[in-house]
Amino acid sequence: MKPLLNFFLIDDSAFDLFIYEKLLIKSGITENVKTFNSAREALKHILSQGTSLPEIIILLDLQMPDMNGFEFIEEFDNLPDFLRSKIQIFMLSSTIDTRDIEKAKASPHIIDLLPKPLEVNFLKKKLAL
Amino acid sequence: MSEKTISILYIDDEEHNLHSFKASFRKQYDITITSSVVEAEQILNSKDFCIILADQRMPIMTGVQFFEKIRLKHPKPIRILITGHTDIGAAIDAINKGEVFRFIDKPWDYTYVETAIANAYEIYRTREDLKLRNIELQKANEELDKFVYSASHDLRAPLMSVLGIVNLALLEEDVKSQNEYLELIRQSVKKLDTFIINIIDYYKNARGVPVVTDISFEELVTEVQATIQYLPEYGNLKMTTDIDQAGIFQSDVMKLRIIFNNLINNAIKFQDKSKPDPFVHLTVKSTPTQAQIIVADNGSGIKESDQDKIFKMFYRAGATNSGSGIGLYIVHEAIAKLGGEISVSSKIGQGSIFEINIPSIAK
Repeated sequence: MKPLLNFFLIDDSAFDLFIYEKLLIKSGITENVKTFNSAREALKHILSQGTSLPEIIILLDLQMPDMNGFEFIEEFDNLPDFLRSKIQIFMLSSTIDTRDIEKAKASPHIIDLLPKPLEVNFLKKKLAL
Repeated sequence: MSEKTISILYIDDEEHNLHSFKASFRKQYDITITSSVVEAEQILNSKDFCIILADQRMPIMTGVQFFEKIRLKHPKPIRILITGHTDIGAAIDAINKGEVFRFIDKPWDYTYVETAIANAYEIYRTREDLKLRNIELQKANEELDKFVYSASHDLRAPLMSVLGIVNLALLEEDVKSQNEYLELIRQSVKKLDTFIINIIDYYKNARGVPVVTDISFEELVTEVQATIQYLPEYGNLKMTTDIDQAGIFQSDVMKLRIIFNNLINNAIKFQDKSKPDPFVHLTVKSTPTQAQIIVADNGSGIKESDQDKIFKMFYRAGATNSGSGIGLYIVHEAIAKLGGEISVSSKIGQGSIFEINIPSIAK
């Protein structure tokens, strides 16, 4: 049996949160998806969990008001090791801007930039499932 | 710009030259004189000049040496050298080291000096204009860059949402749930359409020829109300109006429609559904010279730190159902084009008040 994964979805679009939560659960990759409509809220949640935070995979939108995806990564960089080691981040965005793509590739905290709409099979491959 | 008085600094160790120059030209130009190069440098640090005139033969340093010294720190003023001795060596130095624009022979002739100053000022003004244009162009380019970046996102994001929903719907065996997906697709397409309409409004506002007509605020508001009251997000919001128009007010009806539409739509979108009596109250007070428009609501309000940013292009305050951040930018641009002003006062959780003052445009 493969282990079930915990997902955090961070996206300001209520549509996209709804779509990808359903899609992830339908695909059988997970049974546990938490959604956040702001990056700041997600960050607060992670900090409040502390040591009880399970291992999670974050699908992070890029263009969001208040705190965007890259700003979230900057904050993530300041998190203590024990939290960071439990978190794997994929950026999930509709961007086709080369500067964004380069920046995402260059970040040590972003495993990959996944284009919207999400292809679960592509994500599975990235997770070596 | 030509109405501006030309400011001139004149340096000459011979006091009587300074005074006769000032006596001849003081009515035309804004003249500062000094007999010392040291003092001249201090003056340059505290005042901007269009033109500097300097005598070549002075103690401490020559006019050319003075120009060479100040040229890098004060590059803007045009330099003119006054010299009694036409010495080719000094002339070469003047041009190569001091980058002097022109020579004036001593004793100088009134018309000759006047022409030299007029020509020098022409160059000064052209350079300044060019600098200003460059700054404007740079700003326009930056805005365009930001516009393309944000617009491509706002055009693409709803489309990718639709694709995502379609992918999801295809996985669904239960045919009944398809309607739910279709509803989501409808909403996403509407969002895209709203954005495209906004872009067209923006373009019309920025580039379109303004059409000034007599405005009936009563009609305008009724028209805007008619388009919004059946919106699903309208809810049980109560919209009240108080329109007091005395006499003829003239303006561009297109821009006014954009303004009313955006402000009222925002009040609907950001209403506080937890309140028992969500409202938006529109007040218009217009005279033949001026109109004051106030849109007040008891919606979710705007954070104080966001209040000076909401009129910026693509700025989205962190609200959950915020749009693309272009609406209020267009409102601001439209009001600016009409020669008016907009201000906002708001308290989070209590509501927002937008106040607009615009002048009537004479045909």
